[in-house]
Amino acid sequence: MSLRTAVAHRNLLYLLSLKELRTRYRKSILGWAWSLLNPISQVVIYSFVFLTVFKATPPVGDPSGLKIFPLYFLTGLLPFQFFSISVTTAIGAVDSNASLIKKVPFPHEHLVYSVVVAQGVTFLIELAVLVVALLLFGSMVLPWIPLMIPLMALMALFTTGVALALAAMNVFFNDVNYLWGIVAQVLFFATPIIYDPEVIDNSVVQAVTNWGPTGSFIRASHNILYDNRFPSAERWLHLVVVSVAVFALGTWIFGKLSPRFAEEL
Amino acid sequence: MASVLTVDHVSKSFRTQAERVNSLKELVTKRRRNSDVEEFFALRDVSFEVTEGEAFGVIGHNGSGKSTLLKCMAGILQPTSGSVAVQKRMSALLELGAGFHPELTGRDNVFLNAAILGMARREIAARFDEIVDFSGLAEFIDEPVKTYSSGMYVRLAFAVAINVDPELLIIDEILAVGDVTFQQRCMQKFVEFREQGRTIVLVTHDMGSVRNFCDRAIWLEHGEIAGRGDPTDLVDTYTEKMLADAADGQAMQSTRRGSGEIRVEEVELLVDGQPTTHVRTGDTVVVRLHFASDETIENPVFAITIGRLGGAIVTFPSSRDTGEVPATISGSGTVEVRLADIALIPGPHVLHTEVTGFGRQHVFDHIQNAVSFDVLAGDVRETAGIMTMRPTWALSGPGVSGPSPLV
Repeated sequence: MSLRTAVAHRNLLYLLSLKELRTRYRKSILGWAWSLLNPISQVVIYSFVFLTVFKATPPVGDPSGLKIFPLYFLTGLLPFQFFSISVTTAIGAVDSNASLIKKVPFPHEHLVYSVVVAQGVTFLIELAVLVVALLLFGSMVLPWIPLMIPLMALMALFTTGVALALAAMNVFFNDVNYLWGIVAQVLFFATPIIYDPEVIDNSVVQAVTNWGPTGSFIRASHNILYDNRFPSAERWLHLVVVSVAVFALGTWIFGKLSPRFAEEL
Repeated sequence: MASVLTVDHVSKSFRTQAERVNSLKELVTKRRRNSDVEEFFALRDVSFEVTEGEAFGVIGHNGSGKSTLLKCMAGILQPTSGSVAVQKRMSALLELGAGFHPELTGRDNVFLNAAILGMARREIAARFDEIVDFSGLAEFIDEPVKTYSSGMYVRLAFAVAINVDPELLIIDEILAVGDVTFQQRCMQKFVEFREQGRTIVLVTHDMGSVRNFCDRAIWLEHGEIAGRGDPTDLVDTYTEKMLADAADGQAMQSTRRGSGEIRVEEVELLVDGQPTTHVRTGDTVVVRLHFASDETIENPVFAITIGRLGGAIVTFPSSRDTGEVPATISGSGTVEVRLADIALIPGPHVLHTEVTGFGRQHVFDHIQNAVSFDVLAGDVRETAGIMTMRPTWALSGPGVSGPSPLV
């Protein structure tokens, strides 16, 4: 690839991401407020279920001492949604750009990258709001924020890998789209977002919530934002290995399948 | 001359829609029948080379594999076998505005579309004014493109595409967009391109533009190259073939009206004494009518009409015009109408016959579409209009140079 193409491709990624962001809330009165209203409504619903219906005790942040369920919930939900919404949107992005793929030669993976970038921007905004909330409730979260940078980078890598693989396969089998709807839901509950995994005395649950890919990310996020603790070295190692492997696999699958997109769409 | 684009033994086959696997279930259940999958070859062993600075035409009717070839050249489709090599920066204009987003403004879409076509941000910024200028949409550029008319949409898209600054431009039938002024501007741009020594591949079924614009051409038929070489000759051969195919497929239904006392029983078209269904511009054609009457007809007038199929009437001569009217006719006989050196422009034509009374008011017999025939290219090279005036041209003046190398 020549330098000129590389520069042009970076520009394409930038403009496609910008398009994703600009067109997302077009024709809606509340616009970007929706990106906050959605998690807020979920906080209300799950807080009601967790605290009122099940009368559960919120997990205690160690060493932060925080004991507020909505904050615990959001530190898990936001990174998880970054992942799951990115994948869902990416699957649709390849499909909805069928006419472009059939008519213009361009690197198709940028359709997926741009979705992850745009969703990443949303994630950052949400995270900023969450940090403000944490500070209001007395958490000393600020010194821990820089740790979110490598964590988000790894999440982006992992998310991109999954999104590339599924978006490519979905071109050939639409089942992937529907299957992902179910898998995303299973993953949501297999990830410690609405419950405290420590209180469940079951080795399978422990294993899945600790070392399942999404579980591992969310635990790291809890460590940093809720507990105010440095995630363990094993945790980091696990996340690096999983992210790089998934990204490599996704890139490989996408690269194999994308030359046939124009024909199959 | 250096080769810019090499298409080397390219074949492209598609599985037919029924055979395509669209869900995981089908993948499992259909696996066993893979041996009898039917393949459809859209391209079969196509090879050619386009050299730097030339305008290369690809002609062929719908379904001949033109679009597949175009997509293979553009890198959108991968050939099943063979290879395509592109040595220069290429821009393929397959569909204008394919990447436009209706909610974004014209300005945003220019940037996005140009990026999709492979331009860096700085290059786009540098050319932005030129693009807007070319499109003539300066006052609407900050409106969302969903508010544009389809003509405006296409103009903006073309303005972007043409300003991508390609060394090799591949164009698909898009010359036929926009109003006349805009089309001229596009054509001008293409000519400019050529003069700058850039290479153009034009895929079209507009014979006129291939003839006027291209240095060389190939003709695709059923995915194979049916001919190649000089565009003028190729277009003539192609047109003849297309007309012959059309004639095989659909002879016009003839209809008859009139009081019927005398009838035209048979109509023949003769060139050099031989019956034919196609003639060439410049041929001398004899139209022979065989008539039969049940009673004695006084002062009958014969007439023929020649017109473009579904179009203008070219000529409508009658035997009364030249005073060839017998006092009476009874029984059977023939009328021969000799048309010397016919000046028709190539294309499908029809001939109607008529027998009337001397006053031309009473119609004994009228046959609409008595004969369909094709006019093929002959001694003139005109393609537009309905007939040729056999023009000769003379240019004079101190500033007029010798013949152009393009002719």
